[in-house]
Amino acid sequence: MTQAIPLEAVLVLAAALFCIGLFGALSRRNMVGVLMGVELMLNAVNINMVAIGRYLEPYPYVAGQTFTIFIITVAAAEAAVGLAMIIAIYRTWLTSNVDSVDSLKG
Amino acid sequence: MAFFLTYAWLIPALPLLGCALITFTPLRRSKLASGWTAIALMLCATVLAVGLLAATAQGLALRDGQVVPLAAAAGHGEATAPATGEGHGEATTPATGEGHGEAAPAEGHGTFAFPEPNVVQRFAWAPIGESVFAMGVYIDTPVAAMLAMVTITATCIHLFSLGYMAANPRQSRFFSFISLFTAAMLLMTMADNLLLFFMAWEVMGLCSYLLIGFLFERPQAYRAAVKAFITTRIGDVLMLLGLVYLYTQAGSLAFGTGAGEIFNPELLKRLGSESGFFGVSHATGIGLLLFAGTVGKSAQFPLHVWLPDAMEGPTPVSALIHAATMVSAGVFLIARTFPILQADNGTTLAAVTLIGAFTALFAATIAVAQYDIKRILAYSTLSQLGFMVAAIGLGGWVAGMFHLLTHAFFKALLFLGSGSIIHGMEATPQMKALHHQDEYAAQQTAQDIRNMGGLRTRMPWTFWTYTLGYLALAGIVPFAGFWSKDEILAHAFVGANWVVFGVLTLAAFLTAFYMTRQWRLVFFGEFRGGQPVVFQNPEPAPRTAHHSHADHHTHHDDHHDTHGHDDHHSNTGPNWQEHPSMIAALVVLASFAVTAGFFNLPFAIPGGHWLSSLWRQEAAPLNFIVAGVSLLVALGGIAAGWSLYGGAFAGAHDTDPLNRQAPALFRLLNEKYRIDELYAASFGRLTAILALAWAWMDHAILDGVVNSIGRLTLFIGQLNFIVDDTLLNDGPDALASGTLATGKRTRRLQTGKAQDYLSYVFGGAVILALVYLYVLK
Repeated sequence: MTQAIPLEAVLVLAAALFCIGLFGALSRRNMVGVLMGVELMLNAVNINMVAIGRYLEPYPYVAGQTFTIFIITVAAAEAAVGLAMIIAIYRTWLTSNVDSVDSLKG
Repeated sequence: MAFFLTYAWLIPALPLLGCALITFTPLRRSKLASGWTAIALMLCATVLAVGLLAATAQGLALRDGQVVPLAAAAGHGEATAPATGEGHGEATTPATGEGHGEAAPAEGHGTFAFPEPNVVQRFAWAPIGESVFAMGVYIDTPVAAMLAMVTITATCIHLFSLGYMAANPRQSRFFSFISLFTAAMLLMTMADNLLLFFMAWEVMGLCSYLLIGFLFERPQAYRAAVKAFITTRIGDVLMLLGLVYLYTQAGSLAFGTGAGEIFNPELLKRLGSESGFFGVSHATGIGLLLFAGTVGKSAQFPLHVWLPDAMEGPTPVSALIHAATMVSAGVFLIARTFPILQADNGTTLAAVTLIGAFTALFAATIAVAQYDIKRILAYSTLSQLGFMVAAIGLGGWVAGMFHLLTHAFFKALLFLGSGSIIHGMEATPQMKALHHQDEYAAQQTAQDIRNMGGLRTRMPWTFWTYTLGYLALAGIVPFAGFWSKDEILAHAFVGANWVVFGVLTLAAFLTAFYMTRQWRLVFFGEFRGGQPVVFQNPEPAPRTAHHSHADHHTHHDDHHDTHGHDDHHSNTGPNWQEHPSMIAALVVLASFAVTAGFFNLPFAIPGGHWLSSLWRQEAAPLNFIVAGVSLLVALGGIAAGWSLYGGAFAGAHDTDPLNRQAPALFRLLNEKYRIDELYAASFGRLTAILALAWAWMDHAILDGVVNSIGRLTLFIGQLNFIVDDTLLNDGPDALASGTLATGKRTRRLQTGKAQDYLSYVFGGAVILALVYLYVLK
């Protein structure tokens, strides 16, 4: 197999995607946006998993992909829970702004 | 009959219930209600006690909850003795000794055995190591007879008190006390071991103290109460030592002849043969210590001083406690522990005889020269108790117990009669006038036989009942005292104890003499209360609570004043009225004073030797020499008294004929041989000196030590304060305020916003990564 795309390039892509996700999760005021940022971060990790599994693991390169499939499944469940919570919060406080939900303030 | 045997424990419980009812319920606010409650409960107890006596007289016994005849019970007891084993639980048959069953009736001279118990009910009281200390009731025929005597006299005295104490504002309290006393006396009588016996004995001591000091406004009364308490305490402490000694030797204090009980023949043999302290045998040591309790309680010679002073209590108290029951408890003690006293072949009994006979004569001589009607009876009581103690010392167990029973009846009768007389005397105008000035002096004056005279016609009921009691005490056939006293003298005579016989005969002569003197001065001649010998009270009591008492009398006597009586009238005026309840009590007791002697007639007729056979003891044979001597002596005493005092005391201020003939002797006797002064000068002075020494030591040494310790503590405290304040306080304070400030600062991080937390997490991860990459590399 030819080294068409070097590992570093994929890792840089994943790091960039993670940073974008992190920025989104930290800066968005809308809860759904925050959730989307989190999804991006998860997917950056997935890319890392698959890439490292493909380049550094021995044949048949399945460990990274297996983890990734699990993470996607769990992320789907997490997204469902997160959206449900957002709806519940919205029904209670009539807002979806993360800044206005600070009842745990010390 | 089964009921009387099974529920014998109700006999002391009922008066105790009376005491509790009067003390703890609003009954106490009503004099009449409390009095009648006490009397009703006493009547129930009397019925139970008489029923119990009847049951035991039929030879019935309680074994394992079944009523069986006693002869069969003995066999039954032997049969089941191995099965029932050691004394556990209730109603176990005491294991009878070897061949004891057929040995119960009279044996040869020198051996003594109690009759088989009719009821033994025990419960485990305190486990001590491997053994269990059991408490309970132990009733045999002498106990049943005592119970009947105590309940009958106590009921009469309760009844009498209802009239006598009617004017006293604290009547309910009085009934509460005498009920408690009666309960304790009954419990003591039926106790199954010496410890329970001792407990009840001490409760009686307490009641005696409370009742002597009942009129506690008077300094004389509370001083007499303290004197009685302390004097009897000396005997009681020695007795307690005796109990401890006995317990260490026998490992038990339970009555009975079985293994592990104190009258076990092997144990007694060992006690009599082994020698303990000072080279005397254990039995002598224990016996003498126990006898010390008797000396205190029954007021025998060295400790007799409290009993005459105890007459400061109300007269029913004198009758109940200081004549009929409590003082005879001492005699009952030596009767109950007789096998132990006997175990050392006569040493202890010789001491007992000596003390008893000496007291009998000693007290009789004092009684000859007293003027106070109650004090004469008190010394007479001492003397008669001496007779009983001497009788038991001589081995005349039945005679002593018999005299105890008969004496209780006629002495209670005499005391109650004297109470009736004093009650009448106090209502005369002279005493009333005196009463308004000084109550105590009025009472003492009213008790002075020189101020009486001619009361025969004024108080006929009292006169006739008193006469019966007097004849019984003097020992005139066929009254109660004759038979029992005669039996005691017969024991001395048969045993050839000529000194004891002589001393007791002389005492009997003096008894008849001083009683005749008293009887003659009180009931015959002219009434001398018009110009009484007024008692000079050295310390008048503050007039406080007794005003109501005085008021009552005033009210009572208004009637009398309006009729214009003077003190020389001879008919029975209103102020000589005898209260119906008092008359009832006197009549009941008088009937017993006449008949009590018939319970043990020394003739071989049906009903003769009844007590002896009931108690399974050797019957004393009738000795006509002794009976004749005793009767002659009594008649001689009466004749001497009558002739000497026939014309004496035309007025209250006359000199006593004896005083005229032998002034020095009379003075010595009148001052009671100055024993009180001797004690005050010796023991009293010694105690005072010791007290001063202790006080000096207390002030000079102990106070100094205590004060310097106090000062040292104060100094250390101040030092501690400085260290604490400057060093220790600041550290914890700074820690606390620092924590608070940190908390205030850090709480700002807790914004509640999820994105902030996420950024902290990310920042933390970055820092960790940097540390990992650059620091740890």
